Amino acid sequence: MPRTSDTSSLEKLLENPRVWRARSRTGPAEGLSSGYAQLDRLLPGGGWPRQALTEILIEQYGIGELQLLMPALASLCIEEPGAEAVEPGWIAWVAPPFQPYPPALQKCGINLARMLIVRPKNDSEVLWSAEQALSSGTCAAVLLWPPVLDDQASRRLQLAAEKGGSWAIAFRPLSARHEPSAAALRLELSASHQGTRLAILKSRGGRPAVLHNVL
Amino acid sequence: MSLPITAAKAEQLWFCVYLPNLPLEACGPGDKDLAVIEEQQGVHRVLLAGAHARAAGVLPGQSPNAALALLPTLKLEERSVIREQQVLELLATWFEQFSSFVCIAGPDVLLLEIAGSLRLFGGLKRLRRQIATGLDAQGFEASLAIAPTPLAATWLARGRRRACVREPANVMAALRNLPLSCLDWPPTVLESLAGMGVTDIGDCLRLPREGFARRFGVKRLLQLDRALGRLPDPRNSWRAPERFCADFEMTEEQSDRELLLAICHELLQAHEQFLLARQLGTQRLLFTFFHLKAKATSLPLGGARADRASDHWYELLRLRFEKLVLPEPVIAIRLRGGTTQALHGASGRLAFHDRVPREHYYSMSQLAERLAARIGNESVHGVNAVAEHRPQYAWSTRDLFAARAADALTRVRQGIERPLWLLPEPELLSMDNGHPLHQGRLRFVSGPERLETGWWDEYGIARDYYTAVSPRGAGLWVFRNRGRQRGGEAAWYLHGIFG
Repeated sequence: MPRTSDTSSLEKLLENPRVWRARSRTGPAEGLSSGYAQLDRLLPGGGWPRQALTEILIEQYGIGELQLLMPALASLCIEEPGAEAVEPGWIAWVAPPFQPYPPALQKCGINLARMLIVRPKNDSEVLWSAEQALSSGTCAAVLLWPPVLDDQASRRLQLAAEKGGSWAIAFRPLSARHEPSAAALRLELSASHQGTRLAILKSRGGRPAVLHNVL
Repeated sequence: MSLPITAAKAEQLWFCVYLPNLPLEACGPGDKDLAVIEEQQGVHRVLLAGAHARAAGVLPGQSPNAALALLPTLKLEERSVIREQQVLELLATWFEQFSSFVCIAGPDVLLLEIAGSLRLFGGLKRLRRQIATGLDAQGFEASLAIAPTPLAATWLARGRRRACVREPANVMAALRNLPLSCLDWPPTVLESLAGMGVTDIGDCLRLPREGFARRFGVKRLLQLDRALGRLPDPRNSWRAPERFCADFEMTEEQSDRELLLAICHELLQAHEQFLLARQLGTQRLLFTFFHLKAKATSLPLGGARADRASDHWYELLRLRFEKLVLPEPVIAIRLRGGTTQALHGASGRLAFHDRVPREHYYSMSQLAERLAARIGNESVHGVNAVAEHRPQYAWSTRDLFAARAADALTRVRQGIERPLWLLPEPELLSMDNGHPLHQGRLRFVSGPERLETGWWDEYGIARDYYTAVSPRGAGLWVFRNRGRQRGGEAAWYLHGIFG
């Protein structure tokens, strides 16, 4: 898109996708409804941030970490009748810890024809694969389980997500809580006998919050 | 409006390309100091000599020593009939652009049926000029002739008559003065004919037919009749191989990877040309890097859909080449194309709905190819559900690279809850007083769901599945194995996780 050449250098700098301003945006971009009204209300834009990196910190698997995403993922891969020009997006799973189980996915409304499982053989390839999938523009969402994710890697994922217009979701251990990250949204999901607890640690354009038993 | 149907006689017009210097030209283009020698009755003789050698007085039939005495810089090369055949086949492939009917009619003769090509190429003159220029550019000295029958065209070309006979009625007149040496008859036959005073085809035709057939064989009489068009002369069309295979041989060993890549790119471009001419694409390619001592290194490439674009293949090659370990410098590279399939052109979409600017994006198949090129084909796949009771068989992987990856997916409706994560193998749980443990005692939420099936094969199961919650709140899918434990307590396993 041609831009006028007399934009000031400050404006140019602010256009850089790596620069984000806390609350100066004129209204956040429309989010992707999570399917959980309680959560949508707390997220800026009323849902998951599209074209950005979301980090979900979990202590263990099996506390509903996928269930949290399923309604949104299902809405991404629905084939809209009549909209033949726009192919539904793919959902890439990069280095999942177990086998995503198709019968259960189907029950959640996921279109299995749009599932891409990638199992890289080493750590650096996990990030590389995720970056490729994100920036390709074919994947509506990319779920990844990176063994490590430093500040720089998260920035790269964030940029790739913006480039490809894709939603990146990285699952990380609770211990990563104090590491810096470029993610637009950071959640912490934990469970106990009382139920699940969902904490919004960081939300671009939103506020930290805590939710109980959202699932 | 209906087209007028003319019952036209299937007229043929044959274009003959005779390559008298093929043994020389097959040795490589443009070497003027070259002479080809051939062993005749145990003695080596010069068969053909290049321009410089001829100027120095090297003549066919000389001994190699005599030729070397005349021109000390002379390079002698043994004749290779196999190489000549290969060159001829390459040339036949090149000729396929002019006619759908190309025929290799002898060790140094190619025939094209051009009656159907005249209109496309703008007439006989233009076609002839185009072929002559093309041959010249490739370094071939050819004698061309055109006639309504294949044999007449061949003989006229051998006789170096720049003849162009279009009417079948004129064939006789054109052939009449042709010496019999233009025919590939054995020297003994020609000698005895010469003894009778018969030196050209016209003389031959004046001989009584029965006597001629008796003395020189019916075959020769038939040949004459075919040349004149009195008898049909069916030929077999030559077909270029459908698979591409090309070598690049280097004069010395190379280990410069950039250079090797550049050569591969050239090979890929040749491959693209080859496929383009046939409207084909391929899904697989194989590069082989040859070394002087070590075993050849092979590098297979695969794509999610058939393609021929060299840029596309080059991109994949570069990804794989980065990680390729070459044990030694490379002396030759071979590119072999995989089985081909018809490639249908796709019409572009008019830009009415432009939701996302998609030019700089690539398609799913391209993404899968890129990923697979780096981390391996088996590491990139889709999934499918299978209508099956046993949980571990209720799904399968889906090959994204299969020719028909877009197969219909199985839709399985299941009322019962299933976990989103399945463990690759059920994990044995430790026990405490008959209670399964996982981070402590499990609390059962629902179950049992009895799955006892598969008696028809050796993987039958007899299990009670339960949904349970661990003390730390993880949703688990566990089962108690009911089979094959007489005595002792039943074993509990973890099979899935409610992610």
